[in-house]
Amino acid sequence: MRLLTVALMASLAVAPGAAAKDSEAAYKTVEAKHFTRVEGVELSPAFTDYLYAELRNELTKTKLFVQVIGEGEAVEDADAAKSMVIEGVITEYKKGNRVTDAILGGYGVGARSLKLDVNLARRSDHQNLGAIKVHVNISPKMKEEVMAKGAAKQIAGQVKKALKQQAKG
Amino acid sequence: MAQLGVTEAKMGSRGVVVVQAGILLVCALTPFSVRADEPKPTPENTIHVQLAAAVPPQKFAKPIKFFISDVIDRSGNPQPILVLKERGGVFLDRQPTQITREAIEQSLKAADLLAADATSADLVMQIYIFHFGLAQGSGLDFFGKVEFATTVKNPKTEESQQIQAAGTSIANGAMRKKNIQKNVQANIEGALEDAVRNFLRGTQLREAVASLMKNNPSAPVAAASGGVAFAQGDGSSGHNFKFKFEER
Repeated sequence: MRLLTVALMASLAVAPGAAAKDSEAAYKTVEAKHFTRVEGVELSPAFTDYLYAELRNELTKTKLFVQVIGEGEAVEDADAAKSMVIEGVITEYKKGNRVTDAILGGYGVGARSLKLDVNLARRSDHQNLGAIKVHVNISPKMKEEVMAKGAAKQIAGQVKKALKQQAKG
Repeated sequence: MAQLGVTEAKMGSRGVVVVQAGILLVCALTPFSVRADEPKPTPENTIHVQLAAAVPPQKFAKPIKFFISDVIDRSGNPQPILVLKERGGVFLDRQPTQITREAIEQSLKAADLLAADATSADLVMQIYIFHFGLAQGSGLDFFGKVEFATTVKNPKTEESQQIQAAGTSIANGAMRKKNIQKNVQANIEGALEDAVRNFLRGTQLREAVASLMKNNPSAPVAAASGGVAFAQGDGSSGHNFKFKFEER
């Protein structure tokens, strides 16, 4: 019984250390740029600002990067190889239809939708580390910013996945 | 029959008069109730925004000194110190222009890049604030945004360049008034720090400094213009700088 208690205590003492090791940032910096829009996408500049802010917020949460820098900030040459740049284009935006959504919302008809193409590249040699496609659907009753939140979460998740695969391979 | 019609018409008009009087009364009283809801700054709903720590600027090839001549609010916000109207309001204790100036000066001073006055400065900056405070978010959180443009001018060559800087921060929403104030304060401080870092560590500033100092004469500023390098001609302390300004 005593042995069991000691083992339990030891595992509890070691667990936080192991968790901390997992959360250590593997990359120095990541720069998220403001996403551009293809012609015909009717979204306000405020939406792009919010998406940019949300993306930086979500990238911070991944704990993969020591620092999430702002657009256009300088990076030390020594850190460039361990730094990433994220660029993206909003390729499609559909406002959705409230009436159709109310009647056939369960089938995804009438939903507000946003499509983005995102590129993840290494800062030092601009090598492409992943092309991410994101598609977000929300109810047209919700605000556009909620859609940005969803898109940012998806991008950050995909970036984390791509960088982990890159580290393994 | 005609009399009946007239009677009905009279009754109708009396009703209309009563309704009109009611509407008039409501209209007369509404401004007072609205005015009563307008938040006013008190010590309880006022926050103090400042940088938690100075932002280390980038290193320049040559030692350089900056001076901030003016900070101008171009946000078009009639109430710049009111950052949140709901729940009795949240106010800043100083104007955004003053907060921004202090934040940049604090960072420049910590890195020994701040000149004591305009005459001893290599480059003089004029800052235009476009946004300071909260912006429209998802409704579930607070979205802080600080955005400004800076005109960096070499007083000796009269050349200038414009630099854009922006900072954002997203903080969790809150229900209690105390937590709302705390989160709004943290959010605006985060956005301010982000904007100052974006400015001082940005490639735009590096390129502007390299370009403006390229043809700089080696003689000190005071000697070059007979003692007063900055207050030239009209003595307006830089108010009448000529530069191309990007209208938003």
